[in-house]
Amino acid sequence: MQDPKTGVKSQTQRLVITTIPHAITGEDIVAWIANRFKIDATEARAMGTMMVAFGYIYPLQDHKRLMLKPDTSLYRFQTPYFWPAQQWPVEDTDYAIYLAKRNIRKKGMLELYEQEQYNNLYKWMNHKWDFIVMQAKEQYRAGKERKKPDRVVFDCQERAYWVVHRPPPGTVSAMDYGHDRMVDPNMEEVKVCIMFTQQCIMRPRVKSSVSIGALVKYTTTYKEHDPFLHACLPSNPWLTDDVTYWTLNMPNVEIPTKMRVERWTFSFGELLMDPRGRADFRLFLKKEFSGENLAFWEACEDLKWGAAETMKEKAQQIYKTFLARGAPRWINIDGKTMDITVKGLAHPHRYVLDAAQTHIYMLMKKVSDLIPQSSRKLKRRRPSLSPIILRQQEEEQKAKLAASGPVDITQLCRFTAPVPHLAVYTGICEAQSTASPGFMTLPNSAACPSPISVAIDSTPASERRFDGNGGPSSSHFPSIAEASVSEEENQPPAPKSRMALSLSRLLRRGCNAPSVFASLSPKCAVASGGGKVQPLGVEPLAQPQPRRIANFFQIKVDIPPECRIYPIDSEDEEDDSPDTARGGVKEIICPWETVTKQEGTG
Amino acid sequence: KPECCCLSASTGNMDGEEFTMLDALNKVTACYRHLVIALGSTSDSQNLREELKKTRNKAQELAVANRTKLTALLKDKNISKDDRAEYERLWVLFTSSVELLEVDMKRSLEIGQDFPLKVPTRHLIQTGMTGSTTTVAARAMSVQNMKYEADANIDTVDLKELETEIAQVDQMMEEMEMKVQVAPWAVEAKQEAGAELKSTVSVGNSSVGVISICEEEPKETVEGETGLMKVFAGIIFTGVLLIAGILGYLVVNL
Repeated sequence: MQDPKTGVKSQTQRLVITTIPHAITGEDIVAWIANRFKIDATEARAMGTMMVAFGYIYPLQDHKRLMLKPDTSLYRFQTPYFWPAQQWPVEDTDYAIYLAKRNIRKKGMLELYEQEQYNNLYKWMNHKWDFIVMQAKEQYRAGKERKKPDRVVFDCQERAYWVVHRPPPGTVSAMDYGHDRMVDPNMEEVKVCIMFTQQCIMRPRVKSSVSIGALVKYTTTYKEHDPFLHACLPSNPWLTDDVTYWTLNMPNVEIPTKMRVERWTFSFGELLMDPRGRADFRLFLKKEFSGENLAFWEACEDLKWGAAETMKEKAQQIYKTFLARGAPRWINIDGKTMDITVKGLAHPHRYVLDAAQTHIYMLMKKVSDLIPQSSRKLKRRRPSLSPIILRQQEEEQKAKLAASGPVDITQLCRFTAPVPHLAVYTGICEAQSTASPGFMTLPNSAACPSPISVAIDSTPASERRFDGNGGPSSSHFPSIAEASVSEEENQPPAPKSRMALSLSRLLRRGCNAPSVFASLSPKCAVASGGGKVQPLGVEPLAQPQPRRIANFFQIKVDIPPECRIYPIDSEDEEDDSPDTARGGVKEIICPWETVTKQEGTG
Repeated sequence: KPECCCLSASTGNMDGEEFTMLDALNKVTACYRHLVIALGSTSDSQNLREELKKTRNKAQELAVANRTKLTALLKDKNISKDDRAEYERLWVLFTSSVELLEVDMKRSLEIGQDFPLKVPTRHLIQTGMTGSTTTVAARAMSVQNMKYEADANIDTVDLKELETEIAQVDQMMEEMEMKVQVAPWAVEAKQEAGAELKSTVSVGNSSVGVISICEEEPKETVEGETGLMKVFAGIIFTGVLLIAGILGYLVVNL
């Protein structure tokens, strides 16, 4: 392009005092390009504009608009130092020095965007600012050493360079796309990269609101069970050096503590993980003649966590014992799972029985909703009960209730005395609490969703039997607030008996909608370990008629010696009407409950 | 016309000596940049290559001297906190200068390789710069006139040397970073925004006029023309007045 003969015609730029050579007009450039590449004028113009936009040629007039005007406007070639071809990084330090120099030249009258940039750079390059000032001054002085035309050219060059790389606002910069354009998508590395990012996009993600909600729920549920966060009874061994706490919580202690039992209500997994809970569950299953499920589950755990050498034999053993047709302890899993498992056993590995184990786990979970939680025991803080008696009572209860089938109620034993944080659990409890104003709910239950209350709410109005005690169901809900507020106090017996009454009514109501409960039980289970709800401890709960609600469950509470628990006979109490609440209660509960009822209703 | 270092006055309480050395390094770096910008253009020449080489060498000497001095100062544990802060500031000045120098050296290598001089037809870019850079180099070297004694093939020979020198500078910078633990971002500048305007008040009018040409080219020419026109009109008017006066006198006297 610069060839004196065949290149673009070179002209002289005439300024007032000086003349500077090597200026070219736009039209000459366009003509030359068109001629050289044999293209038409528009394309030549576009190509020329690109050259200008990238900074190889810069305009002498109207320097901010980097385009090629096919007229007599003048352009000049840029010096190689300022070419973008070498892809040298454009440093902000250099820009700062340039702005400082410009500031000197213009005596502080920078353009607006330049001023902004200057201020920005001053702020974040502050540590280098002394250098920038010094360098700017020196460069300025060095520039003055040159002759005037060269000085002019130099300034124009530098200015053009920065117009390209720091475009004034409102202009489009060719540098926006830069030289690092798209890579060839057919290259191997690129393909791998594309695949990876696509998989990343498809990965299922949990919304943070959901995961945080789960975290909050977990902490609310467990926070009182953490001895570091909450005072534990009798005393924190790390603080008082008194190891009673540990002795009381040994893995296979006779009587599990109240807090421990409370934990079992959180989830079925908790129950299984606790050896004591698992023992009780095992006992229960034995009664139900479904002990092989738990045995199978335990065997699978053993397989998963066991040594690698014995894995194969273990798997075979398990198959022979539990899965094969006609096996001694045959478990009932559906055909598909059985298929998968049997196929997998051809090549046994650690997790080959995972599907079956999960199936059985879920089954047991559902079952745990049904059982009378005779395994739940609450230990009073004042150990006034002889463990033997308690054990006997437990056995009694189990026997009777096992005989009577899955049935309801919540035998509530009221503990006198200040045991304010007796456990109250889950959905049903909440439902009950909603029904009973002033009912004490404990923090645990507050945290749990109340599917039951929802269900109750949704049962058709006709099914609900109110007596004058309660208002419309909606009014029950505010009572939760009262209930939780009053949780710390001991309630006098009288209101409790009233509560018990309405509770029984509620339960009856609930009983009338067995389907509702059935659908709810998995939720219950989810909500808190099989939904074992017992608004324990402070109120006597009226023993509502045990309807044949398959999924209604109950908790047996460890009761003080003065209380005896009577078995509930499901058949007898089907036809209770709300008025006979007390009558219905009679068969069920503890003498003191009856007494208080009489007091309350008297 | 080398200017005296009046910078030290504006920077407050400073240890004069270090600052002089730093100032010198700064000056040489600035001049080097000017020279490198001229590389590959029509003001490129053998002389320029030699100037580049000399300036570069001087810069490196200064850099090494500064480094030794500053490292010694910073390693001294018994300096006060203020002193330490000051030395750290100087250190940042120093490292920035050396970084700039290194970048320019690398760029000069690339351009030098792209634009050889010992070829039948030189393909230098017609940038409009045609003058020589002697004065800039003289300023860098702090001499009155530059002497040129290099061979004709300086461009190729020099490039090889340049490569080694770049490697040396790189290494020096790495060593500097390792040995001296200074957090550059922790340094606070003494100059405030717009400080460059202060000590350059004595800019001189000639340069102002020149530079304004670049900014306001179209206007300048127009203004120039109208100014000329005015002067011209004035002269004509005066001439007419004179002629009228003479004619009147003649008429009156004749």
